[in-house]
Amino acid sequence: MTAFLSSSFMHNIFGGLATGVIYSLVALSLVIIWQSTHVLNFAQGAMAMLATYIGMTEIDRGIGYWWCVIISVVVGMALGGLTERVLIRPLYGKPEINPIVVMVGFLGVLEALAAAIWTSTTRNITEPFSQIYYQDHGHLVFLSAFIVFQILLAIGIMLLVAALFRFTKLGLQLRASALAPEVSRLLGIRVGRMLTIGWMLSAGVGAVAAVIVASGNFGLFPTDMDGIFVAGFIAAAVGGLESPIGAVAGGLLIGLAEQFILAYWSPNVAPLGGIIILVLALMIRPQGLFSKSVSRRV
Amino acid sequence: MNWWRTLSRQETTNSRVVAVLALTILTLLVTIFLPPVADSELAGGAAIAIVILGLSWLTGWSGQISLGNSGFMAVGAYAAGIWAHHHASTPLIFTLVLALVAGGLSGLVIAIPSTRLRGPYLAGMTLAFSAAVTPLAQNFTSVTGGEGGIFLNSLVTPKWFEHLFHGANASINANAQWTADLAVVVAGVMFFFMANLFHSRAGRSMRLVRDNDVAAELMGVHLARTRTMAFVVSAAFAGVGGALYSLLEASVRPETFPLTLSITLLTLMVLGGIGTLSGAVIGGIIFSFSANLVAHVNSLTGVNPTSNLGANMQGIIFGVLLIVTMIFAPRGIVSLSSPLRRLWRARRPLSVTQEVQ
Repeated sequence: MTAFLSSSFMHNIFGGLATGVIYSLVALSLVIIWQSTHVLNFAQGAMAMLATYIGMTEIDRGIGYWWCVIISVVVGMALGGLTERVLIRPLYGKPEINPIVVMVGFLGVLEALAAAIWTSTTRNITEPFSQIYYQDHGHLVFLSAFIVFQILLAIGIMLLVAALFRFTKLGLQLRASALAPEVSRLLGIRVGRMLTIGWMLSAGVGAVAAVIVASGNFGLFPTDMDGIFVAGFIAAAVGGLESPIGAVAGGLLIGLAEQFILAYWSPNVAPLGGIIILVLALMIRPQGLFSKSVSRRV
Repeated sequence: MNWWRTLSRQETTNSRVVAVLALTILTLLVTIFLPPVADSELAGGAAIAIVILGLSWLTGWSGQISLGNSGFMAVGAYAAGIWAHHHASTPLIFTLVLALVAGGLSGLVIAIPSTRLRGPYLAGMTLAFSAAVTPLAQNFTSVTGGEGGIFLNSLVTPKWFEHLFHGANASINANAQWTADLAVVVAGVMFFFMANLFHSRAGRSMRLVRDNDVAAELMGVHLARTRTMAFVVSAAFAGVGGALYSLLEASVRPETFPLTLSITLLTLMVLGGIGTLSGAVIGGIIFSFSANLVAHVNSLTGVNPTSNLGANMQGIIFGVLLIVTMIFAPRGIVSLSSPLRRLWRARRPLSVTQEVQ
């Protein structure tokens, strides 16, 4: 048992899960927005990054880490709601390229703005838990308190989101307005408000992911979410953009795959790992591994 | 030789092609009078205009969106750079054709899985590609030179050119003008090809696929092949533009092709006007002036250009411009000319056909 927990195989499993849950969170946040408004939010990572910066600069004023996390998430949610109202609402009913372009522009603005305010140098945030790896009878196990926290927090957020959609009245309204906006409107649901709430929820989930990223080894810098957004998108696409469970599974898959390519193939080709998986997944099922096949209306 | 007939067909030698030719000659004349700095800025703008044109074709004519064109630029630039590094005496035209082929091939590789995707999936897939290119170039050090990149000999001015414009005393001015002229001529050739492609059978079926793919399929247009073709052409243009840009800079480095370059390309395309030749020209012009533009905004607002804000001003301005243009004038600067044109037309008596239109 001892050898097993500290084996290089388990090292890669733990490492893959640790990054995988972050990808899962980002993928989940993308799926929430996609379901409600059919926009792929290219600024998702950058919005979360900005929220993290705003929250974490509060640490400098002597406010505790956990309050700063809460501030980051609240700021993230506010930013998400505001973005939907101001940037996305004018574009409903326009060609699907328009919101993509606008969000890509927003991504550029946010990253430049963050670099302008806080400089592009990496900021390390004192993590709330130790990053020192556990030991098992003198052998290193590649799990630290922080990694355990990161995995548990991500799972907690996912369960929370699932419960919200599944068991609350708000969740029912959100699902109804995503599925049949016209009918929902007739039934008295404020569909516009639901779209805003969907964006807020999504941005909140994204902010949690960004806080974890910033608190870990990666640190906080204006483009820290770029690669993670790409991986999260691939995860969501592998799962089929429609399915929250698919997004979570996709995230774990990408995380593990990256780790194993890095360990057993070559670190040089690691950047291509995500693309290879996406291409393979799309060849097997173009509509995503976890989505029900839908016929497009003509 | 079917493809050649498509690219140079007689019946489409219309006003657009004449306009491309006129603009090329006019720009060549302008380079004579510009100071060397402006000449080299213009050369960069011409190279970027080629890339924008390829992107514009993809987005405007086939309705697909790509955030991967900075990646295709890198592929073209590295292909040209690696070749030119080992075979310094190769004629420029051959190096550029090599970049065209390499760019086109990389487009094909990305297109085959991507053409089954629509809008957002496609954009994300191409984003993943361009995000992977820079780390790949940094990792495969033995081929690409890693972080430092590849250094190339700068383009040599031929003697006859020096004599023609600058007499016997060769100067840096002659070289700047020569490189600018080279870039403009290459851009002119690429614009000429695209002007023909717009009005070819391929261009028409492309538009049909964009507007109604079901109708297109019923009329016998092969959807996947048409979409793939659009991608390959776009990537080939990006390859040429990227190679030209790197040859002008006399180096190929990973940091020339960051993810943000794709955003810049998108901004320039949208600003100019999606799917038009003139839009790509305007995009290229804006790129040439962007450094000056940013410096101007900095001095107007009293921002220190070496401060954090000053250094990131370009990103902020471009991003805001992209958002504002997309929301308020999604057809770009080109579309702003149509009210003017209408005003001009109104001065003349309308003919019957115009009224019907």
